[in-house]
Amino acid sequence: MSEPVLQEKEQVRAQVIVERSPSTWVLALRRFRRHKLAIVGSSVIFVLILGAVLAPWITPYDVTDYNLQKLFGPPRLTVPDDPALAGPCIRPAVLFWKCGMHPFGTDDLGRDILSRVLHGGRVSLLVGFVAALASTLLGSLLGALAAYFGGKLDAIISRFTDIMLSIPTFPLLLILTGLLANRELPLSAYLSDVLGPAKSIVIIILVIVALSWMGTTRLVRGEILSLREREFTDAARALGASHTRIILNHLLPNTLHLIIVQATLMVGEAILIESGLSFLGLGIQPPAVSWGNMLSRAQEFFYYPNGFYIALFPGMFIFLTVLCFNFIGDGLRDALDPRLKGRGFTP
Amino acid sequence: MLSYLVRRLLQIVPTVFFISVVVYALLALKPGDPIDELRLGNPGLTSEDIQRLVKFYGLDQPWYTRYWVWLSRAVQGDFGPSRRFGMPAAEYVFRYRLPNTLLLSVTALFIALLVAIPTGIISALRQHTPLDYTVTFFNFIGVSIPIFWLGLILIYVFAVHFRQLLPAGGLSTPGISAPDWAAITAQTSNFFEAISLYISQLGPFITDRARHLILPVAALSSIQMASWTRFMRSSMLEVIHLDYVRTARAKGLQERVVIFRHALRNAIAPIITLIALSIPAAMSGAVLTETVFNWPGMGRAIFESILSNDYNVAMVSLMFISLLIVIFNLLADIAYALVDPRIRYE
Repeated sequence: MSEPVLQEKEQVRAQVIVERSPSTWVLALRRFRRHKLAIVGSSVIFVLILGAVLAPWITPYDVTDYNLQKLFGPPRLTVPDDPALAGPCIRPAVLFWKCGMHPFGTDDLGRDILSRVLHGGRVSLLVGFVAALASTLLGSLLGALAAYFGGKLDAIISRFTDIMLSIPTFPLLLILTGLLANRELPLSAYLSDVLGPAKSIVIIILVIVALSWMGTTRLVRGEILSLREREFTDAARALGASHTRIILNHLLPNTLHLIIVQATLMVGEAILIESGLSFLGLGIQPPAVSWGNMLSRAQEFFYYPNGFYIALFPGMFIFLTVLCFNFIGDGLRDALDPRLKGRGFTP
Repeated sequence: MLSYLVRRLLQIVPTVFFISVVVYALLALKPGDPIDELRLGNPGLTSEDIQRLVKFYGLDQPWYTRYWVWLSRAVQGDFGPSRRFGMPAAEYVFRYRLPNTLLLSVTALFIALLVAIPTGIISALRQHTPLDYTVTFFNFIGVSIPIFWLGLILIYVFAVHFRQLLPAGGLSTPGISAPDWAAITAQTSNFFEAISLYISQLGPFITDRARHLILPVAALSSIQMASWTRFMRSSMLEVIHLDYVRTARAKGLQERVVIFRHALRNAIAPIITLIALSIPAAMSGAVLTETVFNWPGMGRAIFESILSNDYNVAMVSLMFISLLIVIFNLLADIAYALVDPRIRYE
């Protein structure tokens, strides 16, 4: 008599356990939340994105308005008595930040450095996100195609990846940016017509994508080569799933843990490349502001009083952003691939 | 192994050929041509002169014709003249630029290795200790810091704030150059006197060059150091938990023997590959460091030649770097097979 009752209870308990067992993603999120550095990193990035997005509305100064009476100002949180030394402002105050205050000082044309840093963040973060996203998408797709179809397609893609990895990256970046600036080329002329002043941003994104997809391709190809042989792929094929469906719904989602980490680290990488190119004067062109091009003439002002702040702050923001993305990437890797926990940086 | 080697060596030819076509085409499609600067610098040039120059340089031909001319000379070892420096492009690159880059990048590489490998090992052995956390934190900083900004900060601190404690950039102080043996022997006929004169001039030259090296090497090596320490640490951690290491410990071997003979030998193999692959990148990728520190090396030669359309210089240096990358790729694979007997190439 008592046996069936027990069984029923067991069944109920079993059901409860099954229902309550959280999904992989929830588990990953829990693990991610335990990674302190990653939480710090995400918070900082959140604040930076907020500042960058809201920049046109939360800065008292416009990025291009100069004042030749206050060149090389030191960081200052007081408003000068002489109104000529305060302006030009587009709004009298934003919260505690009054017109005339320069928390990060002023640059060689008397422009407010903090306002420029916030505006520069728009471009730098945009380039970082879009380039990383596009490069990871392209890279994973090529890797998946090569691994899934194998044969000639694999040979072509792999060989092309190898060649792209054998071309010295930085010089090619220089050539490509120069090339895309050439108005005589149809593609380049088309870009100028469509994009206008945003052209240098689009060019830099295109160039970064063109030269950074190879790592993802190799990673995803390697992973899918082994996933392709697994039973669930055979099952999907036996059920009549199309190639597209197998790749997009069965194979790629199983490499997502790699792709997400790769994409996060790529954001930092892209920001570093953009700032380097802009520093050399090839990336984002003035009057557009980016952290890199704020630094491009910084070295000339080292011997001026307070000239150092022109170099200090934009660079600090690049550093901080890339650092935070690396923290997040590390946290994501620990969360999504717990076997690797604590190893850190396994390329 | 031998047939594998031969096949890989034969693959180098089409790869480098392909790269040279792509790079030449891209350079040729870039805005501007080699006579732009001449035209700007010399308003007296008539359009006939320009026509003549265009014809002389073959710029009226399509890029593939020019490429063919370039290639047929290049395979004979003639890479054409540098338009800006009035000497053969190869001489300019290999005699005046490459040695500077070698000095900078080899020194940085050496220091980075010397620090990174022991630090990575110790950090892995002491995992989850304050020491490990400190090392990891510095690694994060090293891989995240933009190298040119690090350079700017170093210059500000050591050359500006501490008033010329170290030079802000350049190769050497004006007036101090390498002693010239020919000039010295012209001064004195006494051989021993000449040698002592030579040495007395050599000392200041070396210290001066070393002082100029400190900051760029510090910037370059700290970034390589960070990523290699990270890599060494993770490679060591991967090995140290494997069964054969446990077996070695269980046999009662000394910890030193376990670490160095059993664990390290396997952990170091990927590092060798990594280093081999990063050598060519260090040659061309130091543009930013060289720009910040005004160091006349390969990276800047490539950068400047591309900007000023000095095609021959750009081609020589880019082909050299590409060849280095391909060769070091091969060397990395061979070294890997030598270190790790499990790997066999067919």
